[in-house]
Amino acid sequence: MGANTSIAAMQAALAAEHAAVYGYGVTGAMLTGSAKSLAYADWRAHEIARDTLAAMIVKLGATPVAASAAYTLPFTVTGASSARRLAVVLEEGVTRAYLGLVAVNDSTLRTFAARAMQAPATRAAAWRGSTVAFPGMPSTTGR
Amino acid sequence: MLSRRQLLAASPTTLPLFLALSACKGPAVLSGPPPVTDQTTMLLHAVTTEQNLIWIYNKAAVTYSSLAPVLDPLLAEHRAHLAQLRGRVIVPPSTRVPGAVTAKPAMGATKAAALAQLRTAEQAAIATLMSRLGGASPSLAQLYASIAASEATHVTALTSEIGS
Repeated sequence: MGANTSIAAMQAALAAEHAAVYGYGVTGAMLTGSAKSLAYADWRAHEIARDTLAAMIVKLGATPVAASAAYTLPFTVTGASSARRLAVVLEEGVTRAYLGLVAVNDSTLRTFAARAMQAPATRAAAWRGSTVAFPGMPSTTGR
Repeated sequence: MLSRRQLLAASPTTLPLFLALSACKGPAVLSGPPPVTDQTTMLLHAVTTEQNLIWIYNKAAVTYSSLAPVLDPLLAEHRAHLAQLRGRVIVPPSTRVPGAVTAKPAMGATKAAALAQLRTAEQAAIATLMSRLGGASPSLAQLYASIAASEATHVTALTSEIGS
């Protein structure tokens, strides 16, 4: 896998971060108290990760993918319960995207991605209330 | 072109020379098994690390049965990790896949100490997996990364339990 594949995988991770930043706006609006504070902290974490990835992509001479104006949510968010479920979906999406980046041949990028996926996996577990055996992997891997 | 009679007459002396000149080595009968690759060696170490983690979780669960609700789900995930890692091992028939635990530390004297010990073991396992990423195939690197992420969630779960 060459530089183009690496950039494509980084762009996929960036797109997932964009989606998470958008999604947490929806999630946060439906939560109150400590859950809202947690959603805000997670939203900020995704903004930072987004900016980090965008800077890395620029450094490689590519143009970072832009955020979409709006995103289709996987389900309607009507309250705290569905907001929490959305947070899980967002974090799982980001985890999966970083796991895709782990497959590149560049060992520095690999390590970056493996480290980067630990935070969303941990946040997903916090929102879900339980851990899984193989974050980012298809569910057939024995979750 | 040599006749069959000429070829048969000459073969005891000329055939070895002919084979040498034609660079034909003949079949490599009874050659040894291929050496275990670095990647396989790393994978076998990962198997041992998981076995050690499972041992220490079992020990903690037996010593402090009240921790079972916290430890059992994490232990089940480690067993799933071990199954996936062992499933990736392909070694020559003469090579043994490790089945033994190589580290059996004494358990912490209190629940909190035991939880902290498990957390330290998880952190060490994460560091080991992360150090193996570079030499692994893409799919094996993804497995290591996913297991490391799972173990990172365990660290958070254990930390939360220590603080409760």
